[in-house]
Amino acid sequence: MQSDVLSILNESEGLDKKVFSLVRLKLLASLAALGPDGATYRELKAALDINDGVLFANLNVLKDMGYLTSEKITSEGKELELYIITSEGQGGWERTRTWLCRFLHCGA
Amino acid sequence: MEKRKKLIAFFKELGFEFNISRFDDRLIAQKLVCLLELKGIDLGYSCSLYVRGPYSPDLTKDLYAHTREFENLETGTRLTTAEKEAAGELGRIFGLKPILLEVGATYGYYAIRQDCDPLEALRHVKRLKPFYSEAQIAIGISKAKEFLYKPTRKDLEDLKKETSIWQRASLKTLEH
Repeated sequence: MQSDVLSILNESEGLDKKVFSLVRLKLLASLAALGPDGATYRELKAALDINDGVLFANLNVLKDMGYLTSEKITSEGKELELYIITSEGQGGWERTRTWLCRFLHCGA
Repeated sequence: MEKRKKLIAFFKELGFEFNISRFDDRLIAQKLVCLLELKGIDLGYSCSLYVRGPYSPDLTKDLYAHTREFENLETGTRLTTAEKEAAGELGRIFGLKPILLEVGATYGYYAIRQDCDPLEALRHVKRLKPFYSEAQIAIGISKAKEFLYKPTRKDLEDLKKETSIWQRASLKTLEH
């Protein structure tokens, strides 16, 4: 059993450590479910209850990692920023989620 | 028959010319599905709560995988009379307006799926959609109630009692 735990812990070396922040995990989990449809900045802010400074900074980190893209869209005449997960982001999120499940023994 | 064909038939009935590149069209499609499912019409796209409110990731997959069919309204499915009625009501009440559909679907989801009382459902809508004005939220909720709830015989009697005073007063005014 111990060697299993050790191998799971060692597998974490293959993960992107920058993902491991609660805010980034929340953002990736939220955006992965929406796929190419994405979510606007204001939707993420309201639903996840994250303040502007923290949200903006973490969205930019994920963009710099190549995990998200953003584009300007218009909704009912208002210009909004839309955030979409990339295929790299989907892959990164899947690897992280699978590892977390294994780590927590939830049967993934 | 694929489930998307029935949804496309609803789009057709509603006169909804879907364009995948328009954010509002994707939003309208999502909220139409949620409202119809809440009304009891089984489209096969189950909605759950996400950061965008009630939402169906399955629908997103289909919209992107079969874009041409949705944009060209390609379907051989015919709606039943009850389904046509529901589409007609939905179109008449909400008029394919994204904000009203979004507020209405969110309120309906909390009120029906999560069994929240009206005040609690309102609080959830305000928390999830704080960027909409009080007036937009009030109109969206009243439209959701109009679409999702059929008044019972007792509701109609209560309403009649409540408004009869004004009705009598206006009739008296007409007499003079």
